[in-house]
Amino acid sequence: MEHKHEPKTYPWRAFPFAGSVLKNLFSKPATTGYPFEPAHYPERMRGHVEIEIDACISCGLCARSCPPGALKVDRAAGTWTINRFDCVQCGNCVNVCPKKCLAIVPGYTAPAAQKSSETFTRPKAPDTPAAGKAGGKPENDAAKCVFCTLCAKKCPQGAITVDRAAKTWRLDADACVGCGVCAASCPKKCLTLK
Amino acid sequence: MAKQSIVPFGPQHPVLPEPVHLDLVLEDEVVVQAVPSIGFVHRGLEKLVETKDYKEYVYIAERVCGICSFGHGMGYCQCLEKLMNVEIPPRAAYLRTIWMEMSRVHSHLLWLGLLADALGFESLFMQSWKLREKILDLFDATTGGRVIFSVNCVGGVLKDMDEGMLHSIAVTLSDMEQELRPIAEAFLRDYTVGTRLHELGVLSAGQAKSMGAVGPMLRASGVALDTRKLGYAAYGDLDFEPVTAKDGDSFARCEVRIQEIFQSFSLIRQAIAKIPAGPIAVPVKGNPSGEHFMRIEQPRGEAVYYVKANGTKFIDRFRLRTPTTSNIPPMLELLKGCQLADVALLILTIDPCISCTER
Repeated sequence: MEHKHEPKTYPWRAFPFAGSVLKNLFSKPATTGYPFEPAHYPERMRGHVEIEIDACISCGLCARSCPPGALKVDRAAGTWTINRFDCVQCGNCVNVCPKKCLAIVPGYTAPAAQKSSETFTRPKAPDTPAAGKAGGKPENDAAKCVFCTLCAKKCPQGAITVDRAAKTWRLDADACVGCGVCAASCPKKCLTLK
Repeated sequence: MAKQSIVPFGPQHPVLPEPVHLDLVLEDEVVVQAVPSIGFVHRGLEKLVETKDYKEYVYIAERVCGICSFGHGMGYCQCLEKLMNVEIPPRAAYLRTIWMEMSRVHSHLLWLGLLADALGFESLFMQSWKLREKILDLFDATTGGRVIFSVNCVGGVLKDMDEGMLHSIAVTLSDMEQELRPIAEAFLRDYTVGTRLHELGVLSAGQAKSMGAVGPMLRASGVALDTRKLGYAAYGDLDFEPVTAKDGDSFARCEVRIQEIFQSFSLIRQAIAKIPAGPIAVPVKGNPSGEHFMRIEQPRGEAVYYVKANGTKFIDRFRLRTPTTSNIPPMLELLKGCQLADVALLILTIDPCISCTER
């Protein structure tokens, strides 16, 4: 096909890439020699999710918020299960965790020939949870409550509604996950998890 | 009239980076008509909005595309912020602008590499992608992901950049600018590249407008239309003019994209110089209600986001019109009268993203 327009060229630059070729011949490779040289991950790299199972209260918020559904939380058995092959490392579970026991850390998990899940089990919880500790849904002692609204502000699920003017405290029991953040934040210690 | 024959082209073809199928009606070696069929990589991502919490859907919106992922997350978040009357902090707007422009550099360098590859210019392909790697490393260091960033949230952004990080971005971009010049020279001055691109697939300004071309495809025909001029995020505070070229051919489209990389470097530098201190997100309570349209300039052109919410945490409808959808009709027009050997190159010059288009 004939082109009407001849592109402008620099005729004296006969070998425009000669410089690059020579530089590439005598310089270090642009890639790293993995696996002989270890891979370097930046500090923020979202590699895989880790759990500090001792601090977990099995509230299940992470599993509810997981976009690909890679997490499973069994409250009765106290287990936290992750299917690492479904996890997309978005970090949403880490953002929603009220106890901050989840973290997304650098480094990939090992490859495998078959998809599998990894399960972590919580140490057995005490039979009667103390106030401020997880173990049930909050109950308010209206005599002590000053309706400061701190519990409502801290609730990760927005399950608590406090009306300062009408002096009412209301819990949406369906939305509550029993994380205990409200009781821990209450300055008057009037919330009890039951 | 010569005998007509039909050649099926794609969805899997050695020269195609994306799964689009065309039935090419040929007379000898000349294309008379191209009949497209798309839908090979439809994943139903828009439908998912009905079953996912609106805050959680950000992570799905950004998975619509692997190249414009940041923009899709940002477009969706901006829609919801408008619906819920949330004003994001200025620092978040600047951070979004910096990441968006880095995405543009990454997308255009990827395209330049693919163009060089389509021309059979392997060393230029390697140089372009080697340079792109530096941007991916910056993404990895600042967001934690190379391609999918997960830093947008309704109400702002999830991660901040400290002074050291902003400085390292500025330094890396200066180095990249120096390294990009010889690559740009090869694309714009090389005789062989020029003979393949000059006067190939000429789209006049009138045709581009009437057929709804967007982005570099439109600007290469001399129409100075850039959605960033609307001033969303921090673009209103930054000084820039849309890059245009007048010829409307494949060479002009290449030239516009190369100049846009240099423009993005300038925009990032301006944003780094002007970024204010302060919070990076505001808390968002409640559920959205009503509907909103939002336009943003993605690397490939104008993308339109539409959200219709019903007051619950599940959104009724999310619609995304991607730039490639708009650029397919002009592309089909360009293919008429071209040689069969130029088909792959012409498809590439619109910078197609079929996985975005089909969602």
